[in-house]
Amino acid sequence: MEANQITGTPLNRIDGLLKVTGKAAYATDYPVKNLAYGYLFKSTVASGTITQIDDAVAKKAPGVITIITHLNAPKLNVKGGLRGGALLQGPEIKFNGQHIGIVVAETFEQARYAARLIKVQYSGDAQAKTDFEKLATQAVPAKEPEVRRGDVDSAMASAAVTVDEVYETPIEHHHPMEPHATIASWEGDKLTLYNSSQIVNGAQTSAAKTLNIAPENVRIITPYIGGGFGSKGGQWANLALAAVAAKMANRPVHLALSRQQMFNSVGLRQHNIQHLKLAATKEGKLLALGHQTTTHTAIDDEYTEPCGDCSKVLYAVPNALINYKVVPMNIIMPTYTRGPGKSTGSFALESAMDELAFKLQMDPIALRLANEPAQDPTTGKPWSSRKLVECLKEGAKAFGWHKRNPQPGKNIQGDYLIGHGVACGSYPARQRDSSAVIKLTNDNGKVQATVELAAADLGTGTYTILAQTAADGLGLPVAQVQIKIGDSDLPPAAGSVGSVGATSYANSVNDACSKITTELMMKSGKQFFVRPTAAQLMASERLSSFETRMDAKPLADADNYSAHSFNANFAEVWVNRHTGMVKVKRFLAVTAAGKILNPKTARSQIIGGNVWGIGMALTEESVIDPRWGNFITRSFADYHVPVNLDVGNLEAIFINEDDKHANKLGVKGIGEVGIVGVAGAIANAIFNATGKRVRELPITPDKLI
Amino acid sequence: MRPFKYTRATTLPSAIKELSGNAQSRILAGGTNLLDLMKEDVERPEALIDITHLPHSAVKSLSQGAAKSGVLLDALGKNSETANHLLIRSQYPMLSQAILAGASAQIRNMATNGGNLLQRTRCPYFYDVAMPCNKRTPGSGCGALEGFNRMHAVFGWSDKCIAVHPSDMAVALAALDAKVLAQNEAGQQRRLTFDEFFRLPGDAPEKDNNLQHGDLITGIELPASNFADHSYYAKVRDRSSYAFALVSVAAGLQLNGKQISDVRVAMGGVAHKPWRALTAEKMLKGKEATEANFKAAAKAEMAAAKPHEYNKFKIELGERAIALALTNALNYGS
Ligand SMILES: Cc1cc2nc3c(=O)[nH]c(=O)nc-3n(C[C@H](O)[C@H](O)[C@H](O)COP(=O)(O)OP(=O)(O)OC[C@H]3O[C@@H](n4cnc5c(N)ncnc54)[C@H](O)[C@@H]3O)c2cc1C
Ligand code: SF4
Repeated sequence: MEANQITGTPLNRIDGLLKVTGKAAYATDYPVKNLAYGYLFKSTVASGTITQIDDAVAKKAPGVITIITHLNAPKLNVKGGLRGGALLQGPEIKFNGQHIGIVVAETFEQARYAARLIKVQYSGDAQAKTDFEKLATQAVPAKEPEVRRGDVDSAMASAAVTVDEVYETPIEHHHPMEPHATIASWEGDKLTLYNSSQIVNGAQTSAAKTLNIAPENVRIITPYIGGGFGSKGGQWANLALAAVAAKMANRPVHLALSRQQMFNSVGLRQHNIQHLKLAATKEGKLLALGHQTTTHTAIDDEYTEPCGDCSKVLYAVPNALINYKVVPMNIIMPTYTRGPGKSTGSFALESAMDELAFKLQMDPIALRLANEPAQDPTTGKPWSSRKLVECLKEGAKAFGWHKRNPQPGKNIQGDYLIGHGVACGSYPARQRDSSAVIKLTNDNGKVQATVELAAADLGTGTYTILAQTAADGLGLPVAQVQIKIGDSDLPPAAGSVGSVGATSYANSVNDACSKITTELMMKSGKQFFVRPTAAQLMASERLSSFETRMDAKPLADADNYSAHSFNANFAEVWVNRHTGMVKVKRFLAVTAAGKILNPKTARSQIIGGNVWGIGMALTEESVIDPRWGNFITRSFADYHVPVNLDVGNLEAIFINEDDKHANKLGVKGIGEVGIVGVAGAIANAIFNATGKRVRELPITPDKLI
Repeated sequence: MRPFKYTRATTLPSAIKELSGNAQSRILAGGTNLLDLMKEDVERPEALIDITHLPHSAVKSLSQGAAKSGVLLDALGKNSETANHLLIRSQYPMLSQAILAGASAQIRNMATNGGNLLQRTRCPYFYDVAMPCNKRTPGSGCGALEGFNRMHAVFGWSDKCIAVHPSDMAVALAALDAKVLAQNEAGQQRRLTFDEFFRLPGDAPEKDNNLQHGDLITGIELPASNFADHSYYAKVRDRSSYAFALVSVAAGLQLNGKQISDVRVAMGGVAHKPWRALTAEKMLKGKEATEANFKAAAKAEMAAAKPHEYNKFKIELGERAIALALTNALNYGS
């Protein structure tokens, strides 16, 4: 099976041509006949009750087919698994921007126009909870479990050197290129949802449960997805509302969110206040780590970003307290957002480590090396594999770390202050149950394979790595392997969330290849000294077709190990000393993430994460006006993602890693780790450049003058 | 967006006639601002008069004979073509720089010179029809005054409105003493200085400028410039491109040896109109062109600033930007 080894080579995306030629059909690209268009309208208050909806004029507007509000919407199951509520089940308003109705019309423009003719009245609720800065003091312990060992406070009191600081990160949004979009179409009891979904089967079950119908009556079709970053993992009300609209209009309905609506429809990364405490000996041995996160959640549901996750695994420290406080607010429910908790949490932890190194007059890399844990410091489990030390050392060499001036503010070139920073990160590696079917055909000796599973490709390369895995597993060239994914009629698969996608899908395909090969060997009734490939067996046995299904599971002892991807990030920033504007001149991410299935798509994942991390560090911030609870940042003109000029040279290095414990293929997942540690490295580089420690993201020019 | 009537104008006078005939009509130029505002339901015109096909897009020298003279920018010239035009690059480099510091390449390819002056504020409360905003809905209140006003004015604002004019191009034009050419239904041509053209919000923030409905901008006139050798446009923003200015400064110096014989400083991102820094200009005239003098003038200019809760930083940033623009103007080309 090692014979051709296409896995691990930088194969171009096999779906690339379809995409650049516009032939890949995304959710609302399907040529469904007789399509009507839905437009969601939303509350303009943060809390209270709808007292009146006047849609008389809107109903008569050109093209309007139907208007749906809580007054005529069917009863839905609000606990069906869709996130964030807003299912038109009653007059209560829980956040500004909550969906309060849908207009269905012949065209999108007609639906939007009619929606604006609708007049809604509310009885206000003076108690709307919209001011996080004020409410943070009322936060209570969150459900997210606490980690406690030893006694942080006594260690802090007696240690030679301590850091005790607060770091703050703002609300951020996922903003995938493709907004959430659905075409819902009923045929009798059967519902087809062309919908952008990171978890195909999850979308199917949550839609079915919410609509009170059987899952087998719901089909999700999502072969191509324009990004998701967590916002299309758990699905949101718009999915079920598209189906409701189609039912009530008695026509297929197209329902897509506008960019403005993306701000308050599909979750967000919450505003975090992180209190970090570090205590160390004079030699830089960590004695204590405290990491308390205070954040907000929905008024009636709880999600907290696990900001303390990196603090649980990165360093050896005898005393630790990692905990969470949360306050319910009239703001849309937060949700998983790329590198949930780890990206924002590592900013706090790694800034604090940099502050500690500076106080100790110690090299920041040396400080990290001095606190390398032999096993998982929180669970005590052995590592499945861990190459953080190699990441740091190889990175330092490649980056030229030794040339860094440890004294801040001393590296000046013309108008610029130059600085270098380092920060580490980690992300858990997990495999989830996932099935796959392989169908082999043999047409006069030409063997071809079709691999089927309900996986989702967010644009990251899932098609490609599965084709590579199957090609190797079956002994076929990639061109003779067809990948079918993105359809809930296919065998159930894990989702493309939490960096489990590649691991789970690839292991299931690999296992299916082994299984089909073994079955073919048995069918042949022959003895083999060298294990043949499935392709060879199909030919030698002159079989015209053969198929098998594999329901793959994680390794039985996977839970005995602590499995994570690790990285070390190196940033060089140039800060204009007149204007405070920052440029990331170069950024190096060194990642140890097990086996890399395709270095090209893997690099894209890492540098994509880096770019978002640069946005987190320098530009991205959503602002809510507490008087109304609405977003003041409401388009890409106000919500700044980094532009090319902000992002200099990005380099990604992978450390070779053969992980025997994480899963059979030794794949650890790279979807999220690329954003972890990035903001920390940049903030640390800015400190090195300017001598200014900014503990509040994003680091905009006003914070540096 | 609301239904509207679309007409494609065949001549300038016919466009003006059409415009004057309906108080709810608007000119459609590049559409990069107007169409966005219509989709957001902020602008609700009943009729659009498309002038983009009219042949008024030249950049012309006004010189007669050898004497140095001005340049005329036709209203329908594209921002990108104007910025890259040889006459502009050689004689008005700060204008070229200012245009190129605005928006993105795609938007500049669509945006016209006339439309650029008339683009509306980027105040987020103005853009959200659920919010109070005196500029959009007179009498509804100013959402920004007690709200998130990081991007807002520090000069010349009123309790009714604290918005800033978002254009970069207009800042350089203000520094260059450009004039706006407007024509009305009666065929009258007016030539407005920037002071006459733009307004402070006062009690009527719904008016961005002093044009009357039915006035069409036909062009922008640039007087002969003595600043080509020493000029610079500095723009400070939240990212390196494609962001509106936190503060920007157009600066031009005319030198007699080391002495400043004439100087222009205009600021963006600080007021309801491009802000001529007259205090700084006055202080610098006749002085030596030194960094110390630039800094002192910058400080004096910003001393009159009145910031809001979230834009206090604009005072220090304004001082720095003025000094930076003047220093870079001094060293321009060297
Ligand atoms: C995302 C984004 C970022 C941007 N960033 C910047 C920036 O950083 N700096 C900057 O300066 N600009 C920026 N812009 C704004 C851009 O420069 C303006 O949208 C553009 O200049 C407007 O020109 P237009 O021809 O498209 O105007 P239109 O949108 O067509 O018109 C604007 C207004 O002017 C009126 N009008 C147009 N021409 C005439 C005329 N000849 N006579 C009378 N009335 C007329 C129209 O009726 C309308 O009311 C940005 C725009 C966007 C969308
Ligand atoms: S500053 Fe002006 S534009 Fe902004 S809300 Fe106030 S009145 Fe409206």
